Amino acid sequence: MSFEEFQNRSRLYVIGALESEELDEFEQARKQFGQKGEDFIGECYALHEAFALSLRPAKSSAALKERLMSMVRERSHG
Amino acid sequence: MANVANLDLDSESESAPRPPALAPELEPGAPSDTDLMLGIQAEDPEALSQLYDRYNGILKALILRVIHNEAEADDLLQEIFMEIWKQAKNFSAQKGKPLGWMVTLARRRAIDGLRKKQAYARAEERLQAETAQQPDAWVHNATEEEIEFADTRVLVRGVIDSLPPPQQQAIELAFFRGMSQREIAADTNTPLGTVKTRLELGLKKIYDGLKELKHEL
Repeated sequence: MSFEEFQNRSRLYVIGALESEELDEFEQARKQFGQKGEDFIGECYALHEAFALSLRPAKSSAALKERLMSMVRERSHG
Repeated sequence: MANVANLDLDSESESAPRPPALAPELEPGAPSDTDLMLGIQAEDPEALSQLYDRYNGILKALILRVIHNEAEADDLLQEIFMEIWKQAKNFSAQKGKPLGWMVTLARRRAIDGLRKKQAYARAEERLQAETAQQPDAWVHNATEEEIEFADTRVLVRGVIDSLPPPQQQAIELAFFRGMSQREIAADTNTPLGTVKTRLELGLKKIYDGLKELKHEL
């Protein structure tokens, strides 16, 4: 697998879109490219941030936060 | 079903570069996301409170894109912030950014939730109804007028909107609904090879576009 193909597969990998038969080949190439490959995969996770930031924030109720913080404080004091 | 990649930051290399910075600038003097994660690691509830205020809207929007149900999204959002609280010790600032870590966690939980509740059929109906109302492949939850992330959103959306609609649709189904290439092919009545090409080309364009944005944010 060329590095360009590895890059294409990496972008599919980080969003979980590699098919199972592609995954084995990808993992082999990942070992082959070593640190360079790991560095590139790390960069690809920026796609996750981008997809989330492309959305308009949705509103949550104040009660939800109160419930969450109550659970957290109980846990931290427990 | 294809794998849903986990963001196990601890398993990545120490020297891995940080991904391009996308998060908006903070008010002067405000703690950084990493500061807040360190606070959570030190079990400071106030740090979680601030992180919640900063990102609950983004994470809820992400969850809603997956499950299309307000009540379930609220439940999941609460569970996800509890998981952030409990799993913060696994976060390492040297290996990634807090927002990326949280988004990956939230997406995985949302897709797991979708499958666990066997809500595919309901979500499908809702998605079709929404898509009929809003013909863009990349539809949004326009329920909130928060402007905190508006500049970033416009820039990122510009990159995404520049893709041909079939590429946007393939990425939408893969990322927000956790579909495999085969599932997308079946869902859209498109040859598998075409789906693969659309995903590869679309993701490359977005990735390249984000690198350009690094200099604008």
